[in-house]
Amino acid sequence: QIHPPSSCSFSPMRGPLLAAAGRAMGGTGGPLARTIHAKLTAALQPTHLEIRNDSPRHGGPPGAETHFGVLVVSGRFAGLPLLQRHRLVHEALQAELAGPLHALQVVARTPQQWESDPNAPPAPPCLGGSKREKRRG
Amino acid sequence: MRAAVRTGWRIGAAAAALRGRAGRPLSQAAGEGGGAEGSGGSGSREAVERLVREHPVVVFMKGSPAQPLCGFSNAVVQILRLHGVEDYRAHDVLQDPDLRQGIKNYSNWPTIPQVYLNGEFVGGCDILLQMHQNGDLVEELKKLGIRSALLDAEKDEEKK
Repeated sequence: QIHPPSSCSFSPMRGPLLAAAGRAMGGTGGPLARTIHAKLTAALQPTHLEIRNDSPRHGGPPGAETHFGVLVVSGRFAGLPLLQRHRLVHEALQAELAGPLHALQVVARTPQQWESDPNAPPAPPCLGGSKREKRRG
Repeated sequence: MRAAVRTGWRIGAAAAALRGRAGRPLSQAAGEGGGAEGSGGSGSREAVERLVREHPVVVFMKGSPAQPLCGFSNAVVQILRLHGVEDYRAHDVLQDPDLRQGIKNYSNWPTIPQVYLNGEFVGGCDILLQMHQNGDLVEELKKLGIRSALLDAEKDEEKK
């Protein structure tokens, strides 16, 4: 029996809550978050997916959607080195990364890897770069 | 190529000096010098290729190792520091918009920071962190002739 960790460092919310937010309950799931969710789901058929909006931590105003972190657990990653896994994620979000998505933290695991280590590193703190430069990708 | 670990790092100090005098990005200064390099400015494939081959460890980041201006860039600096890697080439893309776009085109990677080992793109901050955690970074550094400081730390632990 595998019990979910009592605190997940990647996101403060449980998976189902994030998914519910994605289903337009408002609050944490803005339009870009929903797009990211939909595109990653379609491209990678993840068994587990978490999306975290880090924009407020980088000086973004309320409602900003510029900095995200994604945790993607998918069998599609099996046999692929990290670089290729991340490229698959980028590919799915190519339009967004060319546009409003300014930064994207990625954790990409196979279901086996996630099962043996259901934790992911938290986002590094902002050091103010985005406050000192024009906002572009 | 054998890396000299203790000679101290440069962030293109010569480039910074040029910029300081002219007040313009290095790419324009080079162009005024006669354009000997042919096509493109600092963001061209040729220019980027030269940069990534300059040293066994090359990082494209926001800010400098002494003063990173982005949490992800800082994470890369800190990880390298943990391994005792202080001699590497760091390029501040905030100083050069052409390079900022050029490096993304070159690696087909949308974000900064970008880490190159022996001229080869290995990834950004997330990947470097995982390589650090699973021991791959120690191995990759070893291939470059760089002995990770963490190996010495382990040895000290064993002596106690």
